[in-house]
Amino acid sequence: MSDFVRKFIGVLLILATVGVVSCQALAAPEPAALATPSVLSGPRG
Amino acid sequence: MTRFLWLTGAALLAIPLVLLLRRRLAIVAERYKHISRPSNPFGGLLMFLLPLPVLLAAIGSLLYGDLAGLFNHSVGYSLFLGGALLLRRGLRSEADYSRRQVAKMPWPFKTLGGGLIALATAAVAWTSAGHSPLMSVVYGLLAFLGCYLTYGLDPRIAKRFTDRDGIDSTDRVLEALAQAESSIAAIEQSIRNIHNAEINSRLRRIVGQARQILTMLEEDPRDLRRARKFLNVYLDGAKQVTEGYAKTHGRLNTPELENNFRQVLATIEEVFGEQRQKLLEADLTDLDVQIEVLTTQLKREGVV
Repeated sequence: MSDFVRKFIGVLLILATVGVVSCQALAAPEPAALATPSVLSGPRG
Repeated sequence: MTRFLWLTGAALLAIPLVLLLRRRLAIVAERYKHISRPSNPFGGLLMFLLPLPVLLAAIGSLLYGDLAGLFNHSVGYSLFLGGALLLRRGLRSEADYSRRQVAKMPWPFKTLGGGLIALATAAVAWTSAGHSPLMSVVYGLLAFLGCYLTYGLDPRIAKRFTDRDGIDSTDRVLEALAQAESSIAAIEQSIRNIHNAEINSRLRRIVGQARQILTMLEEDPRDLRRARKFLNVYLDGAKQVTEGYAKTHGRLNTPELENNFRQVLATIEEVFGEQRQKLLEADLTDLDVQIEVLTTQLKREGVV
């Protein structure tokens, strides 16, 4: 495998993992925001 | 699922842009290569840019008052940042290792950085992106593989040096080079405390000459024997005189002191220039001898 191909596949993998996971973290709705735990919000009523 | 596909498509579209950017940065780095650090200053930049959405997500969590999200995103981003810093340190160590003829085995910063980035990817995939633990581990392993393929592994052997008598003098060479480097750093530090433009420019020239000699010694440690006086006497002397002047001239600024210092600097500059010339001539002599030996051999074999 030539050096260029190896690096190209490596960059592709990094984009497909680190890049995608980072964007998903930004785009995903916060579970904590949807269902606020009682520990953080305190008792209601 | 649709969102995932959309994001993957966007990431794939970004590849040509990233490659174009890398090429552009390589051109800029090449332009400054001969006047700045020999290692690529943009090495590992990708690993600083890609996790930025996690930082934005942490800021978003802070704005919405989501404590758990803030904790998850902050930990994830810190791991990414730590990994990127280790990776960059590893790339610089590797560049220094490649440039030198004599070097110790560097710390495995690249491998550690890749491991930390893999951990960060798995952690963010699990806690922030909502993937299952198994899928998160797969993401982490693929990220590590990507780091390995892109940046490679750390060098695992020391470059040792044996002198003409067959004695291993690696530690002695490295110690001499480190001491010379620290003397140059001390002169650079003194320049910051001297507020005289003319003297500072002269000192910068001297530092430049000293660095050139040091680079020649790093490239061919056999020259160390020829440059022993430069390392032990002149460079150390230049450091002491400069430090002394930097301390004194603030309190006692007399024209006589300045003139004396100027004369010393002129002598140092001259001596450093001579030393550099001597090393170049020695290289030339070595080359002459090699050419002569080769010519004799070719004549003996009837080729010429």
